[in-house]
Amino acid sequence: MNIRKITTVTEEILAEGGRRTDPVITVAAVAAVIENPWHGQGFVEDLGPGIDATASELGAVLAPRVMEALGGTLEAYGKAAIVGLSGEIEHGSALIHTLKFGNHFRDAAQASTLLPAVEKRGEAGAVFDIPLKHFTDATIRSHHQTFEWRVADAPHPGEILIALAGSTGGRPQQRLASLSTEQ
Amino acid sequence: MTTTPTRLQKPGLGAQKPSLDRLNDFDELPADFDELAWRLGVRSITVQREEIIADGGASPDAPLTQAAAIAVLANPWAGTDTQADLAPAAEQVAPVLAKVLTDRLLDALGPASAIEAFGKGAVVGVDGELEHAGALIHTPYFGNIMREMLEGTSVLCFADGRSGPSASIRVPMWHKTHATSRDHYQTIDLRLADAPKADELCVIAAASTGPRPFARIGDRRTDGAVTTEILKGLTK
Repeated sequence: MNIRKITTVTEEILAEGGRRTDPVITVAAVAAVIENPWHGQGFVEDLGPGIDATASELGAVLAPRVMEALGGTLEAYGKAAIVGLSGEIEHGSALIHTLKFGNHFRDAAQASTLLPAVEKRGEAGAVFDIPLKHFTDATIRSHHQTFEWRVADAPHPGEILIALAGSTGGRPQQRLASLSTEQ
Repeated sequence: MTTTPTRLQKPGLGAQKPSLDRLNDFDELPADFDELAWRLGVRSITVQREEIIADGGASPDAPLTQAAAIAVLANPWAGTDTQADLAPAAEQVAPVLAKVLTDRLLDALGPASAIEAFGKGAVVGVDGELEHAGALIHTPYFGNIMREMLEGTSVLCFADGRSGPSASIRVPMWHKTHATSRDHYQTIDLRLADAPKADELCVIAAASTGPRPFARIGDRRTDGAVTTEILKGLTK
């Protein structure tokens, strides 16, 4: 796996709606910009070997960095794959929609749910929204949230940007009734 | 007779209190600088860290790491006009911003001895003046704090501007003790989805651990004499 850069964003939200968030909510996202393992190979039918060579290693690079940025724990999480214009969206999906990738994050976060994801193709600097859901119960409404992000110079056409994101809590000032109250 | 600087309110904005009035709501000192920053109107602090492991298909001997810390705060001068005295709020807010932002740079890149380049920036929301952005970064109340914490001596290079949310700003950096070190000229591109709102400001501190990857454009010590003479004879 050839990594060009790793970008980390940590956002501490001290106030929302004019009110203090106590405790402070921290959202962190870490992106690795890698060479598309299938770049320049035409249509590759079997993505398995490329997945085996890349996905687990990528998860092992990203997951500990998100946990460190968040101070060791999280309550919501999600993932992203942004494929450069020469690649297929399937290439990005191949790297993130496998337990080989996601289990690194699930294990580090002591999480149990599937990671919600955004996968798209775009130019360098494309804006994307990473969806986050609760780490043990994806129906917990307070934790449905989104982190908007872009990396100015990635992905190049032959690259893929792969990201993991987490939050130490639900939405700042969350105050919606739970799903169960409507059932 | 002493004159007091007048803070003029725009018509229709009389009900809007300068954000620093909130400081009067507290009896006790804040527990830490983050809480003080919140009292001064800061709503979020974002840190972006970039590890450049390879570039142009090759890996430099040492990865370059850059970081920027961005505070989003209520514009202390919202509703004031171009005659308002900016000094009181600037002297109160700027050093606290410098402290909380530089602390985060040290956390992301530190210690100070590992940091070689630095820069700063400010973006004011569309209801504010460019002068408001300048007031928070272009005085010793910001720069001296940041410089001392990062053990630098250079003037801090900067970018400032006015924009809506989601605009990007590219903050320049140069060497913290040798501002003319050409290898260290570099920038970091920043963008926040929802800031600055019209009545907000973003204030930025940025730093880097070294020169550009594969810097190879010489230096003023190696440059020959270049004048407009070299343009002569290039066209008819």
